[in-house]
Amino acid sequence: MARGYRGYKYFEAIEKNAGLLGILTLIMVSIGGLAEITPIFMEAHAVKPALGVQPYSPLRLAGKDIYVREGCYLCHTQMIRALRAESERYGPYSTASESVYDRPHQWGSKRTGPDLARVGGKYSDEWQRVHLKDPRAVVPESNMPGYPWLSKALVDPDEVQTKMRVLRMLGDPYTDEDIAGARKAVAGHTEMEAIIAYLQGLGIDNVPQAEAPAGAKGAP
Amino acid sequence: MNGFWSAWIMFLVVFNLGLTFFLYIWGQRVRIATLPDGTTGHVWAHGVLREGLRKLPLWWVLLSAAMFIAAFIYLVLYPGFGASEGALGWTSHKEVQADLEANRARLAGLLQQLDTGSVEQLAGNAEATAYGQRLFIDNCAACHGRAGHGNQVIGAPDLTDGKWLYGGDGATLMASIQDGRQGTMPPFGSTFDADGVANLANYVLSLSGAAHSPTRAAAGKDNFTVCSACHGVDGKGNQTLGAPDLSDSVWLYGGDLASIETTIREGRSGVMPAWRARLPEHDIRAIAAWVYAQSAHEAGASSAGGGAP
Repeated sequence: MARGYRGYKYFEAIEKNAGLLGILTLIMVSIGGLAEITPIFMEAHAVKPALGVQPYSPLRLAGKDIYVREGCYLCHTQMIRALRAESERYGPYSTASESVYDRPHQWGSKRTGPDLARVGGKYSDEWQRVHLKDPRAVVPESNMPGYPWLSKALVDPDEVQTKMRVLRMLGDPYTDEDIAGARKAVAGHTEMEAIIAYLQGLGIDNVPQAEAPAGAKGAP
Repeated sequence: MNGFWSAWIMFLVVFNLGLTFFLYIWGQRVRIATLPDGTTGHVWAHGVLREGLRKLPLWWVLLSAAMFIAAFIYLVLYPGFGASEGALGWTSHKEVQADLEANRARLAGLLQQLDTGSVEQLAGNAEATAYGQRLFIDNCAACHGRAGHGNQVIGAPDLTDGKWLYGGDGATLMASIQDGRQGTMPPFGSTFDADGVANLANYVLSLSGAAHSPTRAAAGKDNFTVCSACHGVDGKGNQTLGAPDLSDSVWLYGGDLASIETTIREGRSGVMPAWRARLPEHDIRAIAAWVYAQSAHEAGASSAGGGAP
């Protein structure tokens, strides 16, 4: 056989062997992911909380998990993208350090409702309470469901303490006093109060106050 | 990005592009053995189909070449080859900054007017109020409603009726928006029994001439001294404290007997958030101008100064 015919036999081997074809295809299609995802994934631990930003207070921690439990992330993002329209509407774009204490992060991707990354302080506690119970009482065109049961259930102090212990194992700087004090901090509070506390701190408690909100929006 | 990960990405880019480029060149040059009938000898569907040989079509060859060129140009201009920043120095953060600046430049004339004008002047400026209305819908409508008619469920006042808790001049509007307001009415459920509350509520109704029981109102009149500390002896309110005028037909939380009794018994606490840290001053002035314009418009249209919906 002439020289030119020899190389083809390798190609023919791949073409005729489905298993080999599958494995080599997998290698080729994974290149994009290996280049784009792995470096960020492996370097995630390098993201440090901004100076002065503390882990969640016990009540806010309970509220964050209610947010996750009720699936708020299915309609609301907490990730202001680096786009002018989003900066104008919601404030400066989100940075990785803002969600360093979120396990799991609540960036989301489905934007049915408004982004909540900087919603803290935008509305009064009372507005949040009425809105969570019956969104259409304050926003007539809203299609958000109501969450009236949040006012009836109490936060479980044991559960909050357990969560804090686990988070400490994962590296969040909770002290023994923090965990001991958590019981008192959440006792008697409803889930409604917890989630409102969580929402009212978004974009405030996780951002050092010197550079808090305004920023990109603020400079005239 | 540290050296290792930069090298990692460079390796993958070179590997991927190199391998596909090799296949692109090799695929056009490779010689494939054929049988005498001109097919490769590969048979499909039990010999019904046999695989022939054709040169790669020109459009495919050119399209693939264009894609290699596009990829190369992209890697030179934009970040992508390891830690390379690209010749253009593009980042999404720089782009949004440039977009924001371009938009501010486009609005420069308007922003200049918003920075220097008074709320009262700007209320007559259609461009300023259109800008203010957009911001109002984004930020204020959740409580005050898209048209500014308020919401009694949370005690958000109607901004169009010409009645003001703290005052409707430009400076007071600016203060209300920038620093927020906290209106607190203490609960009197432990001071008065059910009868006392009902009497007092009837007296409050009588102040605005609404339907009430005259006997109960008369019985409640003396107890109103407790209320007059904030609402005034004649119940006309006090804008320094933000105590509402009880003698008009405008109600923050509802003007029926039951709502007024609830207000007396349980108290009320209304919070207007502060916007100073959230919005630049010229944006707040534009909102105030739109609100001022709505109020002036509606007050002129309704005669008796009431006009609550």
